[in-house]
Amino acid sequence: MPGRPVSVDTDPHPYFKVYSAGNFGEVAPQRLSPMSWSLVGDPMERGTRALARLLWGRPPWAEGTYYVFVGYFGCRPYHNLAACCHLSQTIPGLAPQDVTDAYFEGVDPPAELAALRATKVRQATGTALLLRELRQVGPRLRALEERVAELEWGLRAAVTANSPVALAGVLRDAQPVLEEAWAVHILTTSGLVPLSALQRWVYRRLTRHGAQIAHWLSRPRELVWDRLHMAAATMDPYGPGSFLDSSFYEVADDTAPWRDYAVRHKRASTSAGEQALSLVDPAEAISGMLPPWRSKTVRALAVTVGEVMAGREHSKSLAMRTLHIYRRLLPELSPLLGLDESAWPYLTIREFTDLPTNPGLANRAAPRMHACRLALGTPMPEHLDLTGGDGVPRPWLSERPQTQRGVAPGIGTGTVMSPDDDLPDEPVIIVCSSADADIAPLLPFAEGVLSERGSDLSHIAILSREYGIPCVVGYPGAASLPRGTAVSINGSTGEVKILDQS
Amino acid sequence: MTECTERSEGREGMAKRNTAMNVLVVGGSGYLGSAIAQACAKAGAEVRVVSRRGTATVGEGIRGDARLPRLGLPAGVRADVLAQTTHVVLSFGPVAWTTGPGEALETHSSGMRSVLAFLREMPGLEQAVHVSSLLALGRAQGRVTNRELYTGQDFRNWYEYGKYCAERLVRDATDLPVGSVRLGPVLGADPRGGRPDTEHGLPAVFPHLLAGYPVHLEARGDFPSWVTDVSSAAEVVVKALTAPIGRATWTWFDPAMPTLREVFTEVCRAWGVVPKIFDAKPLGWVTRRFGGRLGVAGELTDYAKPWFDLDPAVLRDIPEPWPVPEPDYLAATGRALLEPATVSRG
Repeated sequence: MPGRPVSVDTDPHPYFKVYSAGNFGEVAPQRLSPMSWSLVGDPMERGTRALARLLWGRPPWAEGTYYVFVGYFGCRPYHNLAACCHLSQTIPGLAPQDVTDAYFEGVDPPAELAALRATKVRQATGTALLLRELRQVGPRLRALEERVAELEWGLRAAVTANSPVALAGVLRDAQPVLEEAWAVHILTTSGLVPLSALQRWVYRRLTRHGAQIAHWLSRPRELVWDRLHMAAATMDPYGPGSFLDSSFYEVADDTAPWRDYAVRHKRASTSAGEQALSLVDPAEAISGMLPPWRSKTVRALAVTVGEVMAGREHSKSLAMRTLHIYRRLLPELSPLLGLDESAWPYLTIREFTDLPTNPGLANRAAPRMHACRLALGTPMPEHLDLTGGDGVPRPWLSERPQTQRGVAPGIGTGTVMSPDDDLPDEPVIIVCSSADADIAPLLPFAEGVLSERGSDLSHIAILSREYGIPCVVGYPGAASLPRGTAVSINGSTGEVKILDQS
Repeated sequence: MTECTERSEGREGMAKRNTAMNVLVVGGSGYLGSAIAQACAKAGAEVRVVSRRGTATVGEGIRGDARLPRLGLPAGVRADVLAQTTHVVLSFGPVAWTTGPGEALETHSSGMRSVLAFLREMPGLEQAVHVSSLLALGRAQGRVTNRELYTGQDFRNWYEYGKYCAERLVRDATDLPVGSVRLGPVLGADPRGGRPDTEHGLPAVFPHLLAGYPVHLEARGDFPSWVTDVSSAAEVVVKALTAPIGRATWTWFDPAMPTLREVFTEVCRAWGVVPKIFDAKPLGWVTRRFGGRLGVAGELTDYAKPWFDLDPAVLRDIPEPWPVPEPDYLAATGRALLEPATVSRG
């Protein structure tokens, strides 16, 4: 395109122009390479569009060549906050605030575009279809896990045999698997919001302390991370757990400049000594407090929400495993395709796949390198407001102050510890700026988690719920608390007390 | 076997210990807590009371909170408490059958965790006693004794679950000399004076009964109520400190074992009221459904049938002589309800 400066940014959506890095920001690196973006943003967009199409027909605003639900500005991945909030209004009983609380750290949602509102019939049908889709999550995940494992075996065989044809075969097979993994991830992630809203609504009507009970009961029973960390301990380079060693989301984490943004995960081995006799879970305890049908409804909803939470984590782990296949596959393949060693992170996966038939595509990398260098020098705000229309990124300002929130109930007390420290003998509270599944092995030993970033349904909240420890998010300066400080956190109210150091 | 030897050793050392006993009562400004504090003082111990109010009827009152780490005590006071305390009684948390899971678990689970961590810092700790409740057994199945805690039961409310969690935590703290004393509903005149609290627990039904409203009780209340009076309950706790109880669990109730109907009748006698007790399920249903409008919590109807099959022989675990409940403590409860509610609890 002559006349226009080369940019890696996506075009902003014509109607929905408020973006947020909230959900990405907790877990993904600050900046992603174009290749990683095409492996993360692209399939996410496709998955969300497919879901929207399935539930609400073909909404005109969700069609077209621009990205609708995600965006890539200044090499930073964003979710389209306005579009997500708009989707929430397509489900009866759900408010945009529910979405921002669940995934976007409680910022103010942008104003609704009433002209695009769906009809009541459409809303009701969509909700019923969403529930039906959610029922399919379990089988879909099981089938998907098999396909991911096959890919891992395929990659092992191809690398061992050093066969270009087999490597190209893995590249071809990985694409649909990646798309399915992100599609299920989108489904569980979006399904959790209306499900937990439904849970709170039903509990308020059926029980005396509805909101509290929902908070205590929604716990995933067993998350996939434990098993993966166990697999990682075998040190098998092609095993299911080997991705835990590398940065999530960034496939070019061995190449400059993306290396500087990639969060390396520290792998700690799990040797959790579970209590011989654990407490009866609150979810079991409630069974006697209500008449049978009420108690059945309450427990069924708690299990459903817990399972969808587990599905969200499972689908994410599968997406990460598939990305890890790309992480090892692409550097192997690029010399075979005559590509410069540092050039492949600047192509998209589509271009990379088309290289054998269209070698000219390799020339796109050089101008992008320049564009990325410029983009990386520009600071990008957390929440992005592009309503100005002049292409200048402005931060989206929330009128409501964002405050710390408890996202997993309970009270925990201990001395602070960063995930990179060694475990001390005393009770600890893990403090971090943002947290991902990499801290899962530490959680059995922790009394709680205090994080600067996060939302009601973010990964760290789900993980803390699995281990039944409290979690408070949105506490500024958590990661910079001095070592040895004793803190007490209340995951029900979001209270944080810094105790004296004596 | 080991319990017996512990106990006999305890008896030998009792006189010596009594003189040096420095008791910390956590949650000692409440109904039972203040009775325990008074009983400890009577036994010649130095008493410190930690409570959120910071008041004490005897001994030194300290403001603190069991849910906070190190009981939320200021550093200076904490050092004194840790250095001097030899015996601890844990009697914190209200008997609130209507609380939600948040409050119940904060008080009894998180609170107990933080208190046990505090006890671990006490170099001179000889014995601690956790005042548990028979209700920790919930709707226990089968015959229960002191040994059982979880028998696959379910719980009637979050209070029971909270008490269960607390006792479980105490049992799991095998490195600490802490035993449990389980009590049934505690009645009798308020040791702090004034009108007893009728907001929580079994006494919540008394205003309803005294106002002449009918209640539904299965078998018209002819089942053991496991009540005890507040002074003998406090004495049992002191005995657990001095005997000492070790890591065992004791259960205490009035050995006369009044039935629930007798309890209601006696309490109402002071008012010249005969309680209207019926065995009528629909009445129970109505109370559960609409009781809230008459000022009686629906949760109370959960206790309208035999609670569990408790083996009365559990009393024998407590070394004799047993304390004798105040004669006529049930009627005293009723009389105390006639007093004006002018006593300030804050």
